[in-house]
Amino acid sequence: MKRRECLEWLASYVPEDTVVAASLSSNSSMWSSLRPQGANFFGLNLGLSLPFALGLTLAFPKGKVLCLESDGSLMNDSSSLITLADVNPSNLVVLVFDNASYARMGPTFTSRAADLEKIAQGAGVKNTATIRSHEEFALGVKRAFESEGLAFLVVKVEPDTERTVGNPRFYGRPMRERFVDAVMQRPDYWGKKAEK
Amino acid sequence: MDQESVRLIIETLKQEGVELVVTLPEEPTYSLTEAIRQDPYFTSITVAGEGNGIMLCAGAAIGGRKCVFVTGIAGLLVASWALAQTGMVFGIPVLLLISYRGDMGDHSGIPGAQLLMFKQVAEPLLNTLRIPYRIVNQKAALKRSLQEANFACHDYGAPVALLLSGEVLW
Repeated sequence: MKRRECLEWLASYVPEDTVVAASLSSNSSMWSSLRPQGANFFGLNLGLSLPFALGLTLAFPKGKVLCLESDGSLMNDSSSLITLADVNPSNLVVLVFDNASYARMGPTFTSRAADLEKIAQGAGVKNTATIRSHEEFALGVKRAFESEGLAFLVVKVEPDTERTVGNPRFYGRPMRERFVDAVMQRPDYWGKKAEK
Repeated sequence: MDQESVRLIIETLKQEGVELVVTLPEEPTYSLTEAIRQDPYFTSITVAGEGNGIMLCAGAAIGGRKCVFVTGIAGLLVASWALAQTGMVFGIPVLLLISYRGDMGDHSGIPGAQLLMFKQVAEPLLNTLRIPYRIVNQKAALKRSLQEANFACHDYGAPVALLLSGEVLW
């Protein structure tokens, strides 16, 4: 199963107004080509996308927040899984694209003994699954978006063969500005409450 | 931290609309974070690592919530990767309340070599991370410093730190 195929299906399914946090690098470059507009926060470096997405759930508690995470990134700060389980947000869908490799620089630990779903379970995350086919992916994502609660899905994909260098417009400050513009238009933007 | 400092900080946070408080408990600020945890005005979150605490604050802050991260110098060191990203790459306002472990006056009993290390790295690290900061060691300056730090944090669009020391902390 290829990551891009999963993301293409995901872009056809996930509502346009979903708040998304995407890790570097393949997730961000691919998702930014599929969803260049809207509340998509790209380019979150090693270990940062999951806790950032968790923070977004606190700001947007009524809609789903989608976290596009990857195996190398999650392993870099697996303590965030403990925080995730403890906060246990009702509106977060975490998709960990596990290609068992550091881009083209060789295997990660999930190619050997590490099992991210079991690590998440050990941290206390309740609703977990490991997905290995397109059918399981569609079913798992639909269930996650249609039900209340935290969903943590490890998606086993092939190592990426293309070098994914995203458009600079989708990183850093320009991306941040577009993200803020998008979320400030939402009726549930927290800053509006704070201004009242 | 004594109850007067705790009261001053909580009152000022409320006046400033800061209602999300994130921490990994540490001894000098425990009386503050425990009082906050018991106050229904605040949403209080304990994290398992300072790096994910900073990113949690960053996600909430970019969604419009006013938050503060309470930590010590060890936590600042652990969180430096997340702070570099939050401040220098993305420009997200996160207010930091930091117990200035190792500053003169710290009689907490931690071995001196640790205290010296904290003292030696704290301010250079904040400078390296380009995080504006102020040392607050007088209770009379606490409220105004907190107000100004919170304003600056959102005005700059960047993390801003208060290093708590002296009679504010010890």
